[in-house]
Amino acid sequence: MSDSPILSIKDLHAKVADEEIDILHGLDLELGRGELHAVMGPNGSGKSTLAKVLAGHPGYEVTSGEVLFEGEDLLELEVEERAQKGVFLAFQYPVEVPGVSIANFMRTALQARLEEGEEIDLFDFQDELLGKMELLGMDPSFAERSVNDGFSGGEKKRNEILQMAVLKPKLALMDETDSGLDIDALQVVANGVKKLKEEDPDMTVLIITHYQRVLRYIEPDHVHVMIGGRIARSGGPEVALELEAEGYEQYKEEQPAAS
Amino acid sequence: MAASPANVTGTGLMEGVTDHINREVVESLAADEPQWLRDRRLEAWSLYERTPMPTTRLEEWRYTNLSRKLKLEELVPLPWEERSFSPESAPARLKDAMARDREASGRLVEIDGSVAWVELAEEAASKGVILTSLRKAVESHPQILEELLATEALPANLGKFQALSAALWTDGVLLYVPKGVRLENPVRVTRWTSQAGRALFSRTLIVAEGASQVSFVDECVSEDLDAQTLASTGVEVFARDGAQVQFVSLQRMGKGPFHLSQQRTLAGRDSTLDTLNVGLGATTARVDLNAQLRGPGANSDMLGLYFGDGDQHFDFNTSQDHVAPNAKSDLLYKGALDGKAQSVFRGVIKVHRGAQGTDAYQTNRNLLLSERARADSLPNLEIEADDVRCSHGATVGQLDQNHLFYLMSRGISRNVAERLVVMGFLGEVLSRLPLGGVVEKVTEIIDEKLHG
Repeated sequence: MSDSPILSIKDLHAKVADEEIDILHGLDLELGRGELHAVMGPNGSGKSTLAKVLAGHPGYEVTSGEVLFEGEDLLELEVEERAQKGVFLAFQYPVEVPGVSIANFMRTALQARLEEGEEIDLFDFQDELLGKMELLGMDPSFAERSVNDGFSGGEKKRNEILQMAVLKPKLALMDETDSGLDIDALQVVANGVKKLKEEDPDMTVLIITHYQRVLRYIEPDHVHVMIGGRIARSGGPEVALELEAEGYEQYKEEQPAAS
Repeated sequence: MAASPANVTGTGLMEGVTDHINREVVESLAADEPQWLRDRRLEAWSLYERTPMPTTRLEEWRYTNLSRKLKLEELVPLPWEERSFSPESAPARLKDAMARDREASGRLVEIDGSVAWVELAEEAASKGVILTSLRKAVESHPQILEELLATEALPANLGKFQALSAALWTDGVLLYVPKGVRLENPVRVTRWTSQAGRALFSRTLIVAEGASQVSFVDECVSEDLDAQTLASTGVEVFARDGAQVQFVSLQRMGKGPFHLSQQRTLAGRDSTLDTLNVGLGATTARVDLNAQLRGPGANSDMLGLYFGDGDQHFDFNTSQDHVAPNAKSDLLYKGALDGKAQSVFRGVIKVHRGAQGTDAYQTNRNLLLSERARADSLPNLEIEADDVRCSHGATVGQLDQNHLFYLMSRGISRNVAERLVVMGFLGEVLSRLPLGGVVEKVTEIIDEKLHG
């Protein structure tokens, strides 16, 4: 294992595909393998844009900069290739897919990772899926429900964690996973992430959040403050505590003027 | 030939009467037939002559412009022909369609409007089940035909094309299931259309006597044809008291044909009469389905599934016709449209005076896969009773970027993601009538259409 970062972002500029103005303004960020990072920022700071750009959402366009994932140019890869190489995005607003069961969805996703002609072993898959559900305290009947169809907010987020558990990413991007959850649901989700991290300490996690709340349950190694499309400050867990006490006000004047 | 002046006088209408589709053809078809049938054909033909060709000014034809879509003057009816057939020597697509059918209680093959092959399981035959060519049934079972063919369910006076079908049918299917007889496996009919430029008329008459049970799968197959052919089927289904009937139409013709299917189902007391119409093929396909709940406690599930691509045009015109009290009908039609394909769903729930305690539901959902595809949905209620539960709903949605991105972000390719969403969407219909052989075929065809 090398010491080089698993994800390295340099001077990244990006915008919504059919708009003019950049949302990310020269963002730099490095994540070491197995580390747990949090990016915090107020609404409109570009947090979710960062998550979507990393996952390859077609609605966003990178205007300049570089993103290396395990030394490879991530921006050159298609959405599904990024996922197959180990990037996972837990969505802020998971999409409903009526008529497609969670089991079918996950089996299809794992099948996509195999070579042409290889077939997934259905019994192994079933064991694996049920095992992960047990780990996350989910009822086995969940596997047969249509993906996010009629799910509560908490169920949708839990389903994201289940998918993460099954797909075993190298890098998990968690976009506002804590939003809209009550404290019980938040704990379930946070415990899930912790358990997955225990299972695979090499998994790198980037938590994107507005609030410090979730970080009480999942303690990050590094906290970055994002303001106006770039990282305004980086530090240890104390940065999050500081933010809780003082809010984002202190960073206001550091925002770059819109150009 | 010119029509006799008597038919023209007072109406001035001879629309749809052509060099090839005319009274002479009817007369030659009827030449050797018993008097009752001759009379029935000629009366139907007179009605045809006197009925104007439907135009888009009529609500029922608003979205299907026949003057553009149907070239009647270019079509030539095909007389009945004796055909030799064996499953082994059948054309590849027909052979394939039959080979992939599962077990059957009976099989029938119709080629270009003439029945070529019938096979009925011995067990079914010994219980008195009749499965035969409709043309042969004129001699072998005249009493059933005289009573029920184009009389009660689908008479000529229902409309222009109902009249044409009653006048010009060359062959078709008679299925009769005696009282209390239950057929474990479906009866499977395969219709093969191979000739371009034809007008083909077939009819199906299904009679399920009291407390009997039968499933019927009618599959229409053809190659791509380089000119239009009209493939018309008139379907009459009787479920007598307590009978259970499933009727499935699987239309997967190639490009070119105009497929016209007119169906009427009559559900007796405490019977179950379910239908599934699958529209995948043909260039233009029109289905008229009138489901009459005529006995108390009758129940009809009415399912529909369609997938259009290229310049395909589907038009579904349904009616849930509640005559008897305490009956239930539940309609679900779902379609996906790609390319420049268009669909129309027009459904009416009609609750007649006296049909108290009616439960009637109607849902039509459409998924557009391309910006040029189009779906029109026109649900309608006509309620004359006061103690009823009715609901209707229609949606037209688009497969959007966010949907696909979500699935692709799990490592699934765009093609597979589209397939998952479309099959998930349409699968709801199949899961409600999961007949062996049908689900697999439909899934495979949709796969081909998505990524062929």
